Amino acid sequence: MFSENLRETFNLALFWEYRHILLAGLAFNFYVFACSVGVSVVLGFLAALGRVNPLRPLRWLGAIHVETFRNAPDYVMLVWVHFVLPLLISQAIGQRVTFAPFVSAVIALGLVYSGYLAETFRAGIQAVPKGHIEAARACGMGGPLIMRRIILPQAVRMMLPEAMNNFVSLFKATTIVSLITVPDMMYNVSMVTQQEMRPLPLYTGAAITYFLIIWAVAGLARLASERWRRKIWA
Amino acid sequence: MSDTPAVEVVDLHKRFGELEVLRGVSTRVDRGEVVSIIGASGSGKSTLLRCINYLEQPTSGEVRIEGEPVGFERRADGSTRRRSAREIARFRRELGMVFQQFNLWPHMTVLGNVIEAPIRVRGLSRRAALELGRACLDRVQLAEKANEYPARLSGGQQQRVAIARALAMQPKVMLFDEATSALDPELTGEVLEVMRGLATDGTTMIVVTHEMAFAREVSDRAIFLHNGLVEEEGAPAQVFGDPKSERCRQFLAKLLH
Repeated sequence: MFSENLRETFNLALFWEYRHILLAGLAFNFYVFACSVGVSVVLGFLAALGRVNPLRPLRWLGAIHVETFRNAPDYVMLVWVHFVLPLLISQAIGQRVTFAPFVSAVIALGLVYSGYLAETFRAGIQAVPKGHIEAARACGMGGPLIMRRIILPQAVRMMLPEAMNNFVSLFKATTIVSLITVPDMMYNVSMVTQQEMRPLPLYTGAAITYFLIIWAVAGLARLASERWRRKIWA
Repeated sequence: MSDTPAVEVVDLHKRFGELEVLRGVSTRVDRGEVVSIIGASGSGKSTLLRCINYLEQPTSGEVRIEGEPVGFERRADGSTRRRSAREIARFRRELGMVFQQFNLWPHMTVLGNVIEAPIRVRGLSRRAALELGRACLDRVQLAEKANEYPARLSGGQQQRVAIARALAMQPKVMLFDEATSALDPELTGEVLEVMRGLATDGTTMIVVTHEMAFAREVSDRAIFLHNGLVEEEGAPAQVFGDPKSERCRQFLAKLLH
């Protein structure tokens, strides 16, 4: 019985048979990923600017943002944003509001990972030597210009490896969005499972597919960022 | 107007918490003059230089660039108004600064470092800035390194690029903050050579330095700072050869051994 189960698990013919619908689901993982990256980069950057700001209230805001979202489990956040947040908003504006599952997924993952990215950004910004900033000030450059031309280009290069890790985690987190019925690969796997009653090969196929993609993309990203960094810090 | 000093410092005080680093420094630097500031570490030399371009905000006192107070504006009715960061940044364009640690921006090429501020701050066209940048690099004899990244250069070369970067703003005064202190001894010569060239060309310079031979030979005037005060000031021949102050004498004697 056991060995039959095991044999069944690695028989990926079924996975192959349904590859079109499953890959269509995978596309949703990428959509959610891309949109969440956008949200988390923008919010994370703003929170990081708050964290390094000379104004104390802004530093607090940044810290609250980071602590709130970095410490929220992906799954809880997802469910909360999808079911509770619309209720709160409805209450506030006196009008019924609901979020499409895709929108909830992007907001939830975007928020959680903006917490991680904010810390990554902050570390990158603070790693830029003070002297480089003083040299820019001595040339008559102002704050926003220094941020854009001197700090960010260096900070981004320095934070790249850590940001890549954040993005890999974010991509992995996209596999839970099926819980609020975003039709990603895992969602389609469970749909097919209901029809075929053979979940094991499907889950194994999904696991292998996710692994190969994340492994390949992360490796390429690391390689590219290393080459880019090396040009400067020989 | 012509006798307005390029830089004038009046009763300058700078306090870091409990520590008063400058305790009432006054001096003036005329156009075309080369002034060396010497003194033991902790005497306030670098702080004085950094107060002149407001990288450090003086606690009290005045810094004037060509007669204009940097930190505040004096209105016709005699009242004063503190200047905004933006206005102070405008004064900094007139003051080129060279740091001990070079502080080149590592993500830009040598030429990129030199043309950055002329384009972004002075609003030069890219073309004009490139021409100016190449001329400045030529002046420090590094034209052939224009497209290298700073990490590929020696310390002496990096410092010469930093000088070119400051020159590219066509400042009225050049400030040197221990420009050779971070360099290996065999590399100081090339930087001092460039500085000597600038002095010969009539550049107004304020040089904080430990290079006593250079200070004595190149500067028009030397200032010896001790505990945040001007202890001795005069022609280099006098300050180095026959100092009136006992502390200055001791300081120089210690350096010779």
